[in-house]
Amino acid sequence: MKQFTYTITDELGIHARPAGLLTKAAAGFASTITLDSGVKKGDAKKIMSVMMLGIKQGQTVTVTAEGPDEEAAAAAMETFMKENL
Amino acid sequence: MGLFDRFKKKGIMLGAPVGGKCINVTEVSDPTFSGEILGKGIAVVPMSGSIKAPAAGEITTAFATGHAVTMTTEEGAELLIHIGIDTVALKGENFSMKVKEGQKVAKGDLLVEADMEKIKAAGYDTSVIMVVCNMDAFPSVKCITGKDVMPGEDVIELGK
Repeated sequence: MKQFTYTITDELGIHARPAGLLTKAAAGFASTITLDSGVKKGDAKKIMSVMMLGIKQGQTVTVTAEGPDEEAAAAAMETFMKENL
Repeated sequence: MGLFDRFKKKGIMLGAPVGGKCINVTEVSDPTFSGEILGKGIAVVPMSGSIKAPAAGEITTAFATGHAVTMTTEEGAELLIHIGIDTVALKGENFSMKVKEGQKVAKGDLLVEADMEKIKAAGYDTSVIMVVCNMDAFPSVKCITGKDVMPGEDVIELGK
């Protein structure tokens, strides 16, 4: 299991477009990737699930990757979040 | 009508969330939507700001900014209805959300009231986008586009 936390700096939070792009970034990995907003958990590979978290600026998200390519998956998610959120 | 027509499988139909010119989502000016990253579907160049439920189902996300709603239909289609392009930046101005998360809706129920004139005047494209987010569950998303539609008129046919 590979885990990291990230605090959202984008003032609009994870709305539709970033949710779509995040899902796309997560889709290529075999590992399960979970986002935990502290309130709800969601599957990073499902657009609806990510949007339902309603993550806003200033919220800290815990990202967990679990599976054969968890190292690469967590690294890719961390890069995506730093660049986009 | 032939004997077997009644056994012909008809897909799940989704109605237009608003009246206006119906185009394919691939034709909108936002690369995330036109690239179908959020899903396949349609966009309506709207004639009104009353955004209605395309089918019966449950509201899963009512964005605080009022510019988007997600819902799961009774048949399990996960839909994103997004009003305008980049309108998240309006932070709720000119949008009035009429539903809550977890609320059950019938086809045609009012979801959002948007002041399209003001949104347009603020420099935004008002296209109302409706896409199917769980394409894995519905591999066939047939869009009926290129014509003017009334609210509730069939615009997407889903097949499993």
